[in-house]
Formats: sequence, structure tokens, C-alpha cells
Amino acid sequence: MKNQREQDAYILRMVDIRKTFGELVANDDVNLNVKKGSVHALVGENGAGKSTLMNILSGMYRPDSGDIILNGKRVTFRNSLEATQAGIGMVHQEFMLYSRLTVFENIILGFEYKTGPLINRQVCRKQVEEICQKYRFNIPLDEVIKELPVAMLQQVEIVKALYRGSDILILDEPTSVLTPSGIEGLFDAIRFLVSGGKTIILITHKLREVFEIADNITVLKDGKEVGSITPRETDQKHLASMMVGREVFMQANRREHPFGEELLRVKNLSVKDKDGILRVKNASFSVRAGEIVGLAGVAGSGQQQLVEALFGLREPEAGSEITFEGISLLKMTPAQRRKLGIGYVPQDRMKEGTNPNASIWESAIMGYHIAHGFRSKFWLDHKAIDAFTDSIVEEFRVKRQKNTDKVRSLSGGNIQKLVVGRECLQKNKLLIVEDPTRGIDVGAIEFIWEKIIDLAAQGVAVLLVSHELNEILQLSDRILVAYSGELADGGRNGEYTEEQIGYLMLGGSV
Amino acid sequence: MKKKWRRGASLLKSDSARIMLMKYGISLLVTMLLGSILIYAQGVDLGYAMAEVFKGAFGNLYKLGNTLRWTAPCLMLGIAASVSFKAGVDNLGLSGQCAIGGLVAAVIGYTAELPPVAHVLLCVFAAGFSGMLYVLVPAIMRLFFGINEFIVTLMLNFVAEIMSEYTVDMILAATGEYTSATSTPSILSSAQIPIMIPNTSVSYSLLIAIVLAVALYVLYKFTLPGYELKQTGENLRFAKVGGVKVVRNFLLIFLLSGFVAGLSGGVEVLGVYKKFNVGFATNLGWDGIMVARIAESNPIACIFVAFIWGALKAGSLQIERVTELNRFTVECMKMFFVLMVSIDYERLYYSVKYAIARRRRRNAGKEAG
Repeated sequence: MKNQREQDAYILRMVDIRKTFGELVANDDVNLNVKKGSVHALVGENGAGKSTLMNILSGMYRPDSGDIILNGKRVTFRNSLEATQAGIGMVHQEFMLYSRLTVFENIILGFEYKTGPLINRQVCRKQVEEICQKYRFNIPLDEVIKELPVAMLQQVEIVKALYRGSDILILDEPTSVLTPSGIEGLFDAIRFLVSGGKTIILITHKLREVFEIADNITVLKDGKEVGSITPRETDQKHLASMMVGREVFMQANRREHPFGEELLRVKNLSVKDKDGILRVKNASFSVRAGEIVGLAGVAGSGQQQLVEALFGLREPEAGSEITFEGISLLKMTPAQRRKLGIGYVPQDRMKEGTNPNASIWESAIMGYHIAHGFRSKFWLDHKAIDAFTDSIVEEFRVKRQKNTDKVRSLSGGNIQKLVVGRECLQKNKLLIVEDPTRGIDVGAIEFIWEKIIDLAAQGVAVLLVSHELNEILQLSDRILVAYSGELADGGRNGEYTEEQIGYLMLGGSV
Repeated sequence: MKKKWRRGASLLKSDSARIMLMKYGISLLVTMLLGSILIYAQGVDLGYAMAEVFKGAFGNLYKLGNTLRWTAPCLMLGIAASVSFKAGVDNLGLSGQCAIGGLVAAVIGYTAELPPVAHVLLCVFAAGFSGMLYVLVPAIMRLFFGINEFIVTLMLNFVAEIMSEYTVDMILAATGEYTSATSTPSILSSAQIPIMIPNTSVSYSLLIAIVLAVALYVLYKFTLPGYELKQTGENLRFAKVGGVKVVRNFLLIFLLSGFVAGLSGGVEVLGVYKKFNVGFATNLGWDGIMVARIAESNPIACIFVAFIWGALKAGSLQIERVTELNRFTVECMKMFFVLMVSIDYERLYYSVKYAIARRRRRNAGKEAG
């Protein structure tokens, strides 16, 4: 009897869910039990199967086997519309909003109240306003989406889900795009939603958030469910070891060492984006040999344009100065910059870092074949190519079978190691690294951090651009903070606290 | 002997080999089925029609010659198409470039008086360069104004055709001593590309085409510039970040593709027609695109596909001569075949494979349960 009552308390049960993609088993008989009116955290490393499980719940995928039991009844969703109608709403990591429509139009889209064939705007408006009032969302309904900041868009997505009648809200990595204060705002909203009877499933891999907000935790690893616990029963260290199956501290071993002379010097750099909007405003900074300079900032603060200008992919405005070892870089192509000893790890490993549909060696020699070249400028020297590819594979422990395998067949972490390795093994003097550990597992993150620190210790200047504040804090000797195209001084390592840097990222001053 | 056979069997177990087999097997089967219906509907005996196609293509040396004669232009234009497709350039203006090349070769061929080999070389290269100049228009529009080459090259086919017709009829015929409105005068014998196999219509064009195919294969397989071109075509941003001069490569691809298309027009005129006929290139350009499509832009595969294409062309002329069948029956089957090989068999294969694996697992689960 007790068992029965316990089961009734669950608004949602997912039983023995299995889903395969080809050879890959993304979910291996996973169970998930969610209590009504709770915040349930679903944690695990990247590729652990969290998103797959939630996509099954929201009707995007159909499971190979297993049952979904909603309010005690077995349900099957043939598409995401059926899941929505059953009261399950998902806020995706990438927002699904039409940038040219207003907030109000985005919210009601597809679920309009109608009189005859026409949309009854008054009724819709009243509904949306009621929801905003009830759950204290203060969003500008008549603004166009593309004018709004990211934190606001997330609220729009949540209101959209509520308007569609969701009782269970799935939030997929909701804090990855937010600043510390934005995260607080989101958590307040979550607490309020739960007190109003809604149920929240939170996908995350940030442990601190789990302990701050979650009532229950389910841990996934390699597609399998490792355990379900409450925050009271565990601590961060224990949870981390559950996620990766070993003790992980995620602590980089930064070493103090003297810096050399100034290698990169940027003065009054201004850059416009492709729409002609000024994204970098009068930035000035320098990087010395052996120094890791970290550039922090909320996504879209001009980091992308700054890096593109540094590597010659975008032309800066008149009056900008970029010098490397005293030589002006302004008129130089990426090829010439590579020949000078500048390496670049781009943010997007699939679109810019590799050619995913071609062999591993083809991605391994890109850039190297220009900066260093092979004995012949015309013929492909496969012996030398294999030697260089193998050196990356060995030193960066890329798990691969043959150099002729497709890049796509490797996991994200191994592809990232390939890209970072390629740029690290060219005896570069300056390395520009953008988000080197985005979306890869903890083991690979530690490995790449170690390699970057080694490189700096050997006297290479490193400019580290990252959206992960922890990464900047762990690795950097000196910190710069980008806010709305301007650079603020974030001090030497440890000079400011994490909160202070977060405040700088929002345009405050310390 | 046995070992060899076993290696063949294990090759069949590999996914990519099975996909290839499935692709061409299914395509051929379905195309033959459709062809049978078409032939049957026209009241002709199926076996008889097929036999005549075969006879027309391979019946005797002369007929095999006809097949090879058509193989040459199909291959050359297939190469021109492969060059552009491989690098991500949609050059659909092969017919236009081919026509311009042909016209230029014909005009130089009947006006300039030069020693034999020099005359041919001049004509051929002039044809190539004019094709290249013609493709410069869409290239510039793409690179500097961001206008998609797909539509520009397509439209320029019509411009080329009408322009060449105008040139023949209103300029050359009006000012010269001859009166044909649809062709130029015959080229001088010094400009003719000689026959390679006696008693057939196979000229040295075929050799030129094969050399081109092999050269392209070597370029992509064994050289650094080929490597860069491949990366530019497959992932432009990746190549750019790596330091490859992508704008230059893009232009190079355009020009090379136009050059080969123009050259093939010139070679066709000098080797086969001995004069420029209005509209001779219209179908050839599309044949080239289809050959490249079937061969997946692989230059060596292009040789074989072009040969089959040539055989079908020669065979279709034969069945029209000896049976009631319309020549377009074979054309129709060719187009249908291209349609069939364009299906994404890789995806089809894997979805079927995993559906079977899932069912097996489920059945095994039931038995165990």
C-alpha cells in the first residue's frame, strides 16, 4: 500500500527508457521519477544522455522501448505537439524564437485563441498578461525579440511554455547563457513557479546550482542511470565523482613563472560586425610571453569580433593598431599571421576547427601545411603528414583507429583535442584560444587545461577567450572583462573575487 | 584463389560497399522496370529493344566507335562539372561555356591559316580561354556581389546560345561568302583533330578527355593545391581559418571549370563536326552534369559513367532507326536513373539496418522474458 501511495506522489515516471542512435546507446534503460511540485535536477557530463531523455519526454524522439507514465496513466507522444498538449513544456538551450516577431506574437504562435479564422488578439493578450502577473514575469510584450537581451529571452520561453498550459517545465542548461545575477533571477522564478504547483526538470552540469535549487537529483553517466538522491544525502565532491565515476576536483594546477617580453600589443582596436554595428570599442591590451590572459564576458560582448580581427578574419576600423613582436598585423592575411607563429583554436570545432566529413589527417594538417609546410610544396607527403598527425594523436591522446577515419566518427572531446593539439604542436609564439573546453567531458577539460598551462610555462603567450568564467579564473594570469565591446581590467589572478568579475561582466565597476 | 574470394566476401560485409551496391543496384533495377513499361507501352518487344540498344552501342567496331565518340564529350563535361561540384561551386552553365568555346574554335579554325599541330593547339586553347572568360561573369557576381552562381550560370546558357546564333547568322553569314544561318563554314583541315581509331569516328578527343580525368584525379589525390581546393569546397570557414586563400581558390575553381567546358566545346567542333552548329552543346552540358552526379564527382568513376552514357547515346540512335521506339525513351530512362542515384541511400541503409537490430533485440527480450 505504501508503495502505491509513493507512486501516486510522482507526477511523472519514465520507466526503462531505451534509445539508440545507430551503434550508440544514448539511453540504456533509464528510470526517472519526478515528484509533483518539485525541482528535479538531471545531471551528468556532456553526452551522458540527459538531452536525449528529455527529448523523448517532450515528444521530439520516440524511445525504442520503455514507458512514460504521466499522472498515473501510460502515455505515448507521437510528436512534440502531443507532449505540449499533455502539459509538458521544454525550454531549449538554443531559444526557439522568431527574432523579427514581438514577444507577444512569439508566445501565442501556434496556440492562438480564434474567432472564426481570425486570431482574437484581445483574448490572447489577456491570457498572457494574466500569466505574467501570476508568476511575476516582467517582460515587454510588444518589443521585437532581436532587441532583447538573452536573460529576457529565456523568460519569454518560460512564459511561452506556461501559456501553452505546461505543468512540467523542462529547462535545458538554462544558466549557460546567464550572468550570475541573471541566474539568481531565474532561480527566483523557478522557486515561485514551484510554489504555484508547477514541476521543474532542470538539466545541468553545474553542481553548485544543483545544491542551490534542486529537491531531487538523478545522475546519468554514459546513457545509464547511476543513481537518484537528494541534495541532503550528498555533497558536491561526491556528486561529481558519481558523474564521472572518479574523484574530480576540476582544479587547474597553475604555476607561477616569470613572463617574457610583450608579444601582442593591441591599441585602440575598434571592429564592426557584418551589419555595420560597432562591436569592439577602442580596446587596448597586451599579452606577454609565457602569460595567459583570460578574456571573460557574457556571450555577444564583442569577443568574437575581437578575435576575428586579431586573426585577420575581419577588418578593424581605421585608427586600430595590432602589433606582434613590433610588426603591424593589420594588412596581413591569416596565412601570414600563421607563418609569424600565431595559432588559433576557433570556438566552433565542427564549423571552423575541422572538416568533419573528411579524414582526420586532413583536419590535422590544416594551417600547419601553410605555416611550416612539407618538403614538397606541391605533392602531398603522406609520410610526413602521418608523422604530424600521429604526434597530435599521441601527445593529446586522441582516441582514434586510423588517420583516415572521418573526423565525425570521433567524440566531441577527441575532436577538440585534435584541434587544440594541432595548434599547440606548431611551436607557435602566440596562441589565441576560444572556448577550448565547450561541451566536452571533465576528463578532456582537465587534459586541455594542463596542456595550455604547460604551453605558457614554455614561454608561449596565450589569449584565452571563454564564456566559462570558472575556466578563466582557473587558468588566467591576468583577466580582462568584455562588456558591450569595451574591455575592463579584471586584475591579476585572485585579485578580484568571482562575484566581482561577474559584476564587471554586467558593466559594473569594482 | 580461395583467399581472394574471401576478401571479396568480407568487402561485401563493409557498410560502404553494401551502400554502393544498393545504390547502383536499386537504381538500375527500378530504371529497367520503368524502361520496360515505357517500351511495352509503345508496343515493342522488350528483349528485341534491349538487344538493338546493345547492338547499336557495341555491335561492331564502327558502332563501338560511335559509343566512344560520345564518351569523349560526356567525359570532358563530366570533368568540368566534377571540378566545380567538388569545390562547392554550382556551375550549371556548362552548355553555355561549351557553346562559346565551340564557336571560337570554329571561327579560328576556318579563318587562321597555320601549320596543323599549331592550328589545333591555338583553337583548343582559345576555346578553353573563351569558356573561362565567359564563366568570369558569374564568378565576379558571386565573389564581389554575393549573387548565387546557380541562377546566373543557368541563365547565361541562354545568353550563350542566342549570342552564338546571332553571331553565326547576323555577323558571320551576313559579311562572309556563305549563307547558312545555323552553322559556320567548315574548318580548315589543318585545324581538324585527327581520327584515332581508323574506320570509326573516334578522334584523339577521347585521349584528351581521359588525360584530363587522370590529371584531375592526381590533383585531388596527391597534391597540396588539390587538398586545399577540397577543404575549400567541403568547409569554407575551416579552410579560411586555416589560412587557405579561399577567394583565390574559389575563383580558380570557377575558371578551371569554365576552361574545361570551353575546351570540350572546341574539341568537339574540331574533332567531330568540323564546323560550329548552333545548339550542339545544349544537351552536352546537362550530360556532363548528370555524369558527374552519378560518379559522385570522382574523376575516375566519370570515365566509366561517361562510357555507359556514350553507349546509351549510340544505342538510342540505333533503336530509333530500326524500331518503332522513340529515341527519348532511352533519354527518359537516363534521367530517371540520375534521379534514382540521387536518393540518400546511406541514410536509407542505416535506418533499415537499425530497425532490424531493434526488432531483433525486442524479440530476444520477449523470448528471455
